[in-house]
Amino acid sequence: MPRILAVEIPGNRPLPYALRYIYGIGPTLAAKLVAETDLDPSRRASSLSEAEINQIAERITANGIRVEGDLRREVAGNLKRLQAIQSYRGMRHRRGLPVRGQRTRCNARTRKGKVKTVGIQKKA
Amino acid sequence: MSRSLKKGFYVYPSLWKKVLDAQQSDSRRPIRTWSRSSVITPEFVGLNMEIHNGKSFFPLHVTENMVGHRLGEFALTRSFRGHQSHTQKK
Repeated sequence: MPRILAVEIPGNRPLPYALRYIYGIGPTLAAKLVAETDLDPSRRASSLSEAEINQIAERITANGIRVEGDLRREVAGNLKRLQAIQSYRGMRHRRGLPVRGQRTRCNARTRKGKVKTVGIQKKA
Repeated sequence: MSRSLKKGFYVYPSLWKKVLDAQQSDSRRPIRTWSRSSVITPEFVGLNMEIHNGKSFFPLHVTENMVGHRLGEFALTRSFRGHQSHTQKK
């Protein structure tokens, strides 16, 4: 299994798909990277030579794309700032409720997680 | 969707005047406002605001981190204190 940027170990999938295993690289960026490095998109990640791997890594850094730890830290920092300034969005993040004004009467399960019944407790 | 940059930021005009005055005179007195949709600009930093939440005024000391947010984001309009307990009810 090849490694790109020290930690990434994408599998035996075609390049545009394998690159998406890197946190911060989605379909569009993956396709763009493959095009910029003039690699054949149908090739598997395992068939890459050392030089080609370096080429991809170089494109990522040269384009100023933030991936993996850097990106995760940036996102965490953004959340932290919102929470530190006591903004509405920060509070919603802290409580694990939807942040962008969605209803919470029903649904909102992505944020709220699995259904936990609250409210009326029947007396025995 | 965010606001078009062409239009610039929005601050309620009379509030804007008060902010500039307070900034110049180094006033500590809080500025009361109902304009929750006004954007906090760098000029607001360090001022004390009182933002209406629909019922009363919520005191807020503006810090640098808040620039770019709107005043209303800091003064919550709802007070949820949990669901009523049904235990006493017969």
